[in-house]
Amino acid sequence: MSTEQVTYGTWKRPLKKTGLVGFLTTVDHKKIGIAYAIGALFFLLVGGVEALIIRLQLMTPENNLISAQTYNQMFTMHGTTMVFLAVMPLSAAFFNFIMPLQVGARDVAFPRLNALGLWCFLAGGIIVNLSWFFQAAPDIGWFGYAPLTARQFDPDIGTDFWIIGLQILGIASLAGSFNFITTILNMRAPGLSMMRLPVFTWMTLVTSFLIILAFPPITIALAELMFDRHFGTHFFDVPGGGKPILWQHLFWIFGHPEVYILILPAMGIISEVLPVFSRKPLFGYPLVVFSGAVIGFLGFAVWSHHMFTTGLGIVATSAFAFLTMLISIPTGVKIFNWIGTLWGGQIRFTTPMLFALGFIWMFMLGGFTGIMHSSPPVDAQQQDSYFVIAHFHYVLIGGSIFALLCGIYFWFPKVTGKLMNDNVGKVFFYTIFIGFNLAFFPMHILGMSGMPRRTHTYKAEMGWNDANFWSTIGALILGLGIAAVVLQVIYSCFKGKPSGENPWDARTLEWETSSPPKEYNFGFTPVINARDQVWENKYGPDEKKMGKIAPGAHGIHMPDQSWWPLVVSIGLFIAGMGVIFHGQPMERLLPFLGQSDISLFHMLVPGLVVTLFGIYMWALEGPGGYHLHPDPEELVGAVEPEEGSGH
Amino acid sequence: MSDAAAHADPLEELKKTNTGVEHKKMAMWAFLASDCMFFGTLISTHLIYRKIYPTVVDPTDIFSIELTGFSSFILLMSSFLMALTVSSAHKKNIKSMRWFLFGTIVFGLIFLGGQVYEFSHFVHHKELTLSSSVFGSTFYVLTGTHGVHVALGVLWLASWLIFSFTKKFNWVHSLDIETAGLYWHFVDIVWIVIFTAVYLVEYL
Amino acid sequence: MKWIAYIWIGILLALTAISVPQCLNSGGETALFNATGQQSTLDPQGPLALNQVNIFYVTLWVTLFLFVTVGGALAFAIWKFRMRKGDDPNYVPPQSHGHPLVEMGLVVGSAALLVVIAIPTFGGILLKERPPVMEGEEVLEVNVTGYQWWWGFEYPEYGFHTANELVFPAGKVVKLNLKANDVIHSFWLPKLAGKTDLMPGQENKMWIQADEPGYFWGQCAEYCGDSHAYMLFRAKALSEDEFTAWLEQQQTATVTDASLGDYTPVNSGGADEELVLTGAELFIENCARCHSVDSKVQTMGPNLAHFGSRTSIAAGWLENESENLVHWILHPDKVKPGNFMWEGFPDPIDPLGPPQMEGLMDANLTEAQAEAIAAYLYTLK
Repeated sequence: MSTEQVTYGTWKRPLKKTGLVGFLTTVDHKKIGIAYAIGALFFLLVGGVEALIIRLQLMTPENNLISAQTYNQMFTMHGTTMVFLAVMPLSAAFFNFIMPLQVGARDVAFPRLNALGLWCFLAGGIIVNLSWFFQAAPDIGWFGYAPLTARQFDPDIGTDFWIIGLQILGIASLAGSFNFITTILNMRAPGLSMMRLPVFTWMTLVTSFLIILAFPPITIALAELMFDRHFGTHFFDVPGGGKPILWQHLFWIFGHPEVYILILPAMGIISEVLPVFSRKPLFGYPLVVFSGAVIGFLGFAVWSHHMFTTGLGIVATSAFAFLTMLISIPTGVKIFNWIGTLWGGQIRFTTPMLFALGFIWMFMLGGFTGIMHSSPPVDAQQQDSYFVIAHFHYVLIGGSIFALLCGIYFWFPKVTGKLMNDNVGKVFFYTIFIGFNLAFFPMHILGMSGMPRRTHTYKAEMGWNDANFWSTIGALILGLGIAAVVLQVIYSCFKGKPSGENPWDARTLEWETSSPPKEYNFGFTPVINARDQVWENKYGPDEKKMGKIAPGAHGIHMPDQSWWPLVVSIGLFIAGMGVIFHGQPMERLLPFLGQSDISLFHMLVPGLVVTLFGIYMWALEGPGGYHLHPDPEELVGAVEPEEGSGH
Repeated sequence: MSDAAAHADPLEELKKTNTGVEHKKMAMWAFLASDCMFFGTLISTHLIYRKIYPTVVDPTDIFSIELTGFSSFILLMSSFLMALTVSSAHKKNIKSMRWFLFGTIVFGLIFLGGQVYEFSHFVHHKELTLSSSVFGSTFYVLTGTHGVHVALGVLWLASWLIFSFTKKFNWVHSLDIETAGLYWHFVDIVWIVIFTAVYLVEYL
Repeated sequence: MKWIAYIWIGILLALTAISVPQCLNSGGETALFNATGQQSTLDPQGPLALNQVNIFYVTLWVTLFLFVTVGGALAFAIWKFRMRKGDDPNYVPPQSHGHPLVEMGLVVGSAALLVVIAIPTFGGILLKERPPVMEGEEVLEVNVTGYQWWWGFEYPEYGFHTANELVFPAGKVVKLNLKANDVIHSFWLPKLAGKTDLMPGQENKMWIQADEPGYFWGQCAEYCGDSHAYMLFRAKALSEDEFTAWLEQQQTATVTDASLGDYTPVNSGGADEELVLTGAELFIENCARCHSVDSKVQTMGPNLAHFGSRTSIAAGWLENESENLVHWILHPDKVKPGNFMWEGFPDPIDPLGPPQMEGLMDANLTEAQAEAIAAYLYTLK
């Protein structure tokens, strides 16, 4: 492999590939994906510890392990962390690492924008969690219902940390999604039509569309709330004429698609893993893809089923109830097709397959309880009870987290070139599976016997003691299992046995390249002739085998690294802190600056200046890039490109 | 030496995507779809409060429809100039491109000036502030967000105008100008919706 | 190594097995699913809750059917097509891509099952919105107001207020008008009806009916701040005669003349007169700025006019016993954190500044004083 430097643009861009500089300036989608995964797993553990504290508090009635306020902070931060800092970024990690490989691209369409997404994710995650260190963690619930978030009821800055953290995380998600949409639509390898795309990539596309359409309402709602808190507007302020119900609508117009943002990537992963370990193609591929798109579309039409108890009236309640029932059909279709995939195959019980099968079972149970509270009369009893907690943990842990762990076991060899021990993985799977069910199944019973959510304690005579006790035991087992998986991941990074290119005999394009993939992903441009291209290469007829186009005399064009995504996100971080501490006494954050209150000019304006400076430098440093030449042996069988086509 | 310059037509080269739409334009379309939702949320907030929970404020006492109508017209004309800018960029006529770009910026600035005047007039003479009523809150946040969009657009176009005088300017950049144009047109179209939903409906 | 794994998983399964009977029978009574617990939704005592639990059973049977069929197919597929010992690892099963007829059939089938749920659902939605009342029939209305963290009940036809205990006649529809004073709360009486939210700036309506006289537990079901978990209430369904008597009792004054500031109890009911009078003075000094003892007047705290006749205190968290009451008066912050009775009522404009109404934090009540206040309160029957 030889490199040839052709840097151009206004000035030189950082070139170092290793060390701190290499990490801070990277634009490689694979490194960014790994960084997302590390961040997400860290926050998963943080959110998990918060969950365990919640469960320990509820283990016995009238327990005083933590105070009411601390408990409220715990469940707020647990929800926020798990949704925005664990499940979403872990999905984004797979989008980043796997999707470009699956479409046969060298990188995403905008490598620097991708880096901005990563740094904004970290900045947002840090801001949300910094609140603990100022004794001001938000205690408003992850849904932040007005008017509990108003200054009158929450005078401290916890809500501000939450608002700003989510805004910056929103930037991260939006930047990532524009990038993925462009990449999937524009950068597919020759012959890779939309109906040949791996289902995971399809779900990445649907999820990205959901993100770009669902995040604006919450961004605006948060901005309106910020104006209410800082500049005296009346959007959700009841005495001033505002209506708290508006917040609920705006939040759930975001919040319900968000549910699908969390579950569709999981469904994509499952749709990849089941065929591999059944050694059969996905049953009903067009229907699986179509139902994913329908779920995404209908996801925007059912938000008010979170608000059945708010007095919507007969018409709205009925309409949203029936639309909600409707959405269970495409979801059911997926389950049918997964069973169809298993049918007639040769099922191999590897760790990823166990997680995938566990996913189907648990997601099915979560789906059933979902059908139950799609009916408003039933929901009237179940809403805001432990039944709902059981429901969405079945779809978010039994669904999303199981699938993401499945993805970790499945793609770990591709990412690191090493194997995770399968037998150990199975023990961890059973630990997680049993712990999860022990933790959350009793909550169905708790909910039906009337235990409301978000209560930090309960009276001993209510008959909720045993179920709560066992739920806590289950949660501890579940926590142990998840921690063990994280430890196994770390261990296998260093001590795993080499895996080779395709240890699972898998089917999609990412398994065609080396493990871990080289910087340029593929030495050649793949020419796709079938849906499960790698499988067909091995077992299929000749006309379905993959073609290869050599990179030509130029070599492979690679993007240069850049400092500016990091600078822009640091600017946003400073500006965000400026808004959070607006009007607070100086000694709370900047004691060395004197006694006055922090104004917008102390941090917001400097932060925005840094951001703007970063954006200009970003634009002016020019496109950059250099060329790599792959080893000749990678190009065996590759044809030379036609004149004038491509880098 | 530019890598792209090695090819006959770098713009044609950029079009070699699966969809035939360049990456930057595709991303801009995606961003604009997202921006529709941003403005959609703001406009619905305004209309919901106007229709369902009306306040005592009578907006026709506050608005000066002649001024806003004029500045709306100016903004629409700036869209026309933007279209001419893009067209001259495609024809590689740098001189007319600079003039049209300059005109777009000036019209954008006139619109912004109108808005600044309007805001200060409302605050100082009509006593409509962010916190005076729900109407004030929704009005200023909605039109202010649009104003920020216009201001960023002006900054962006002005940057291109200045950049077009440097040696680094290359006709590959006509794609970037076209992308900025997409944004500019969108901001103008949104204003038509806002002008109708916020101003004109009050005179029905 | 293998046996360690088997033992570990065995332990986990054993724990699960132990947990099942305990969780299913959590109340310690014989009833399955704790169905007779105070807030069980599976023990409906009125027509609305009965309707809701019946629709729940419809959804339960439909999903059980799905679980047996779909889950059965899944389990069968996993078992039947598993890779067995000695199977050829390079075996390539037939690469079938799907079967449109099977797929569409399943879609249509699942849509049909949804209709089974949708029909009773629509009936349930209508029932919740339209109480079964004849035209012209007189219906008791109660205005329910949610406060952080207690419940105000107003009987508008009779012009009096009470707090934290809703009393109504059994066998009749009672209409509730729900409002919130500060943040969102949710009114939940599991045995009588599912919840309806109390929204600030908006009036919601619901209705309840108890088939028989009874004593019911309710709780706020929407997170409403620090002491959300302590926002309980009780509901009493009385027979016709008892209810008429109760109405009358609530409308009689318990103090001499509250409007003139004379808080002396009308009838000290055999309690130590001197202690009661001391209590009345202390009450005026420390409590009267938020609590009214006139059932016709509602101030910012719970109305205490007939406090002595209530069964619970601190919004249903404690039983109404002297010992509990003294503890509650001395340490409201320990019973309900964030409580305004301790820190005072914050100024809505400047919540961090001095309180609008002072709490007991600086009153430094002694135990004897608290006992006097308690003795006084118990005379208000």
